[in-house]
Amino acid sequence: MKSLDGLRFRKRKTPIHRLDPRVKFLLICAIFALSIIFVDLMSITIIFLALVPLVLLAQVQGEWLRSLRASALLAAFIFVLNLIFVSDLYYALAMAFRFLVIVSSFSIFFLTTSPDDLGLALEQSHFPYEFSFAFTTAIRFVPELAKEAQIIVDAQRSRGLELEGGNILKRIRNYIPILIPLIVSAIRRSMELAEAMESRCFGAVKMRTSLHALKIRSMDYLVILMIVLVLAGSIYIRFYIHLL
Amino acid sequence: MPIIDLKNVTYRYFDVEKPALKDLDLEIDEGDFVIITGPSGCGKTTICRCFNGLIPHFYNGELSGKIVVAGLDVKETQTSVLSQHVGFVFQNPENQLFALSVEKDVAFSLENIGLAREEIVERVEWALEMTGIIELREKAPYELSGGQQQRVAIASVLAMKPEVVVLDEPTSFLDPLSAKRIFEVISSLNKDLGITVVLVEHRLDLASEYANEAVVMDEGKVSFVGTPRDVFNDRDVWALGVGIPKVTRLGHYLKERGIDLGGVALTPSEAADLIRGYMNR
Repeated sequence: MKSLDGLRFRKRKTPIHRLDPRVKFLLICAIFALSIIFVDLMSITIIFLALVPLVLLAQVQGEWLRSLRASALLAAFIFVLNLIFVSDLYYALAMAFRFLVIVSSFSIFFLTTSPDDLGLALEQSHFPYEFSFAFTTAIRFVPELAKEAQIIVDAQRSRGLELEGGNILKRIRNYIPILIPLIVSAIRRSMELAEAMESRCFGAVKMRTSLHALKIRSMDYLVILMIVLVLAGSIYIRFYIHLL
Repeated sequence: MPIIDLKNVTYRYFDVEKPALKDLDLEIDEGDFVIITGPSGCGKTTICRCFNGLIPHFYNGELSGKIVVAGLDVKETQTSVLSQHVGFVFQNPENQLFALSVEKDVAFSLENIGLAREEIVERVEWALEMTGIIELREKAPYELSGGQQQRVAIASVLAMKPEVVVLDEPTSFLDPLSAKRIFEVISSLNKDLGITVVLVEHRLDLASEYANEAVVMDEGKVSFVGTPRDVFNDRDVWALGVGIPKVTRLGHYLKERGIDLGGVALTPSEAADLIRGYMNR
């Protein structure tokens, strides 16, 4: 669970949190695109540094650093591989940085977007409701399942199950007495959920309504405008004047 | 005309030999607060599932007899339609909350039937207020205690403005104090809003005082019906292994030993009054 903390949403009221999730997603895609368009170290470093004010504005620096630390090993791996096969130090560095940019942008997105809003965004983008329902319900039940897993671990341990020790194969096998009860109870839980959904009119009408609605505000339009300008400018610089 | 009317109802779950309900008759009048109790496996939960059409529409099995709830024939009416008349609160609070915030959860069924947004907002506000959880509106389900979760579940069915609310052992995951608070909320739905309440419960000590009718089930049948006072004073009911209120048992115990308090209590405060009266005599 700890390793996923770098992606876990917490309620905060910052301009980034308030941004429409669809616009935020566009922003993330734009950053993603920029880091693909440019291949040289300087540009990618600039993109990476441009993320820092974003992170500070969203007040998620702690979680962001944690997600960077978690991906550091993979970034190092990318660096070494590129160094060996391309044998260009700057290029290898750029590739490692590119990876960090992509990780950061996704981390910022998930850290600042409530799953509820994300579900709403899916719904309003005309995805079938079943998808966004499945998505939000999955997130809703993560803490419950984690709690249950802990109870099962405690119960099995108190009956003498050893989880540590042995080689990798043995360690994996150790977890079978945890997994089976967990799966059985998840299935049982899903039955109860289905019954409750049925009793709460799930799928009663085709055109479902919604308590909240996402609204694109002037700030969102401003961000869209900025995204378009920066993207257009970057494409122009990269492909038409061959500056870099 | 009764709001819930079961006639000759027999039901067998799919792949089970023994019927869960056997030729059962039950009438519940509008505005009543009914407690259904009985030993485990007596068919309490099964009967609740008949009230909003989970039986026969969600559970396969064999159903015979006639079930009419709020003027609708349950066999012919979908659960999604019945649920607008009959709210169902389940035993496990955490498995009946879907959304990531309390207010979204209360809005869930209203969204599902496609109400206009203004109407949803209004009803959510009202339901949160009625159940006393307005300050929890933005909390996620896992941030709530069991009692709070169960109140959210009650608010969610209340938002549908149902005529009947069915609660299947809503307090079995709760401590006694939270349970008492839940009973108070349920009682106010009955008293202030005139909603018919059907409460399946083992905790008769706490719940009896709110009900005006008690139904005891055994082996898929209704064995006793009456006021809680009459039913829980009936020694034949005791023999079934129902959780008779302790103060009622105390009254009988004392009577058998020659101490007549001049009545048998149903609630602790009644018992206190009787004992005080006896001591002053």
